[in-house]
Amino acid sequence: MYKYKGTKDSGGRSWLLQRITGLALVVFMIGHYVLMHYTPESGHTYDAVLGRMQYSWYRIIDIVFVTLAMYHGMNGVWGIFRDYQLKTWQNYAIVSAIIIFGAAFVAWGYVIIFSIPYVNTGSALVTP
Amino acid sequence: MSELDSSRASASKIKTYSQKNKWISENLSYRKDTGSRAWILHRITGLALIGYLFLHIYSLSPLTQGREAFDNSIKMYTTPFFMVLEWFLFAFVLFHSLNGIRIVLVDWADGARYHRQLYWISWVAGILMFLAMGALMFSHEIKGLFQ
Repeated sequence: MYKYKGTKDSGGRSWLLQRITGLALVVFMIGHYVLMHYTPESGHTYDAVLGRMQYSWYRIIDIVFVTLAMYHGMNGVWGIFRDYQLKTWQNYAIVSAIIIFGAAFVAWGYVIIFSIPYVNTGSALVTP
Repeated sequence: MSELDSSRASASKIKTYSQKNKWISENLSYRKDTGSRAWILHRITGLALIGYLFLHIYSLSPLTQGREAFDNSIKMYTTPFFMVLEWFLFAFVLFHSLNGIRIVLVDWADGARYHRQLYWISWVAGILMFLAMGALMFSHEIKGLFQ
């Protein structure tokens, strides 16, 4: 008699999340590239970053962006490993490494975003 | 013999080869067609982009140390060499994005019927967007040439 021994996870949810995050990232990425490069300063000076970070919604966008990008990237890396028949312990080691590295760098990203102060200028557009 | 049968026959032939030191050649033994090219390029660009994301977070970390530290560290990335690198990074972003859209269309919009055309359309659209981004990124330099 056949007895099902696999996990209940067919990978369908992971596939769907990969697709949703991928489509979202296309939108984020267009905005990101244009915003960072429309002037030489816009992506490469502290003041430009400080100006943007006065808007809380901009911080939220950045947080969502880095989280989605890391999830999509790390899930993609895991997908590559799944193409090869690896031993169970190897799978555990790889997934652990992926989660630890991914979470650590996303957390680092959050720390960077929150380290930028709100400055009291009256107008967010005015850089001190 | 149908196309599928012949591809199955060649696949079983490959398996009779010695498996020793065949890892690379086996992994490059897919029939070269738009689909397999798209697949391998999607993988390569994806790996490059996740590698870049780690670098990106690292290179922005001086933001935590304030204006002077950040402006000093970011100076390096405003040199022409790094600007060109950033431009070519956009080529990787473009391929991965456009091919991702192509995959979505194949799955959800009956794109299996026109996936080859989509592949070439995405190349044309990608090259145009690459040039447009070049014009945007280097608009300062381009303006300088005519002054």
